[in-house]
Amino acid sequence: MDLNATIAPFVRASNNIFKEMFDLNIHKGQAEAEEDSFTSQGFTVMVGLIGGWEGWFFLDMSQETALKLASIMVGEDYSSVEDEEVLLAGAEIANIIGGNAITDINNIHSGLNIRLTPPSVFAGKDMSMFNVRLNACSILLQTDAGNVKLNVVMKERK
Amino acid sequence: MDVKHINAFITGLMEVTSMLGIDSLTRTALNARENLKTENEVNIIIGLVGDIRGNVVLSMQEKTAMNVASKMMGGLPVNEFDLISKSALCELTNMVSGRSASELEKIGVLTNITPPTLIHGSNLISLISQVETLVVKFTAEEGVIELNIATEN
Repeated sequence: MDLNATIAPFVRASNNIFKEMFDLNIHKGQAEAEEDSFTSQGFTVMVGLIGGWEGWFFLDMSQETALKLASIMVGEDYSSVEDEEVLLAGAEIANIIGGNAITDINNIHSGLNIRLTPPSVFAGKDMSMFNVRLNACSILLQTDAGNVKLNVVMKERK
Repeated sequence: MDVKHINAFITGLMEVTSMLGIDSLTRTALNARENLKTENEVNIIIGLVGDIRGNVVLSMQEKTAMNVASKMMGGLPVNEFDLISKSALCELTNMVSGRSASELEKIGVLTNITPPTLIHGSNLISLISQVETLVVKFTAEEGVIELNIATEN
C-alpha cells in the first residue's frame, strides 16, 4: 500500500478544516515513513478506521496547541488539558478531519467502505504510541497555533 | 450500553487469559469511570464499528504489564517494558478482541474491530469515545487489569 496516498486525503482535509474552523493557514512538511512507534507531543486524538483497509488516524499536537485550538473552537480560555471540554474539542477536530478524509478515500477507491470509530484522546508527558506490525506515515503541519502532526497507520484487511 | 455486550468482553478476556496461564484472574469491581486521569501506564485500545460502535481499552500498571508479558513468554523474566513486551500485550488484546467478537456474534451482534494500539506513558489523562465509560476491574497474581468499555448501539 502506498502510504503517501493514504495520508494525502488527511492533509487535504486538515487544510480545509483549519482554514474554515480556525482561520489558520497550514504549511505542510514532507510526508515521512515511520516505523511502528511514535512519541506524542503531549496530546493525541486517535480515530480507528475499519473497512477494506483498517488502522488508525492520529492527530498529535502539544498540550499548548490543544488548548489554543479548543479556545478558538469554543470561545473560552482553557488552562489545562484536564478540562474535559479540551479533550472533547480535540476529539471533535479529529472526528471532522477523519470523516472528510475517509469520504475522500471511499470516493476514490470504491468498495473500500471505510468507517470511523468514535475518537479517543490521550494526553500526558513522554507518551508513546505503538502499533504492532503496522507501519505509519506521518506529516508535520505548521500552523500559527503550533505544530500538528498527522499520523496514519493502515493495512489491507484480510 | 447493553450488559450482554459487556459480558462478551468479560468472557473474551477471562478465556484468553486463562488459556495463557493467567489463571488467578477474578472480576473484582464494576463502576462507571469518573476520572479522566489514570494511574495506569499501559493502555491498549481497540476500536469497534458495526452493530455496536466505540472503543475498548485494556489498562494496567507497567509492573502488571511486565508480569503478563512474562507469563505469555513462558515465564521468561521481563525487566524492562520493551518492544517485545509491548508486542505481547498487543497480541493479548488481539486475541481478546477476536474472542469477544465471536461472543458478540453468538448473540447476533456483528462488529468489526481495529488492530490494537498501545499507549505508554505516566500520569495520563484520557477520554475514551465520547460516551460514558464502564470500568470492569480484574485482579490476578500478576496485578490489576482494567477493562474500559465505551460503546454505543
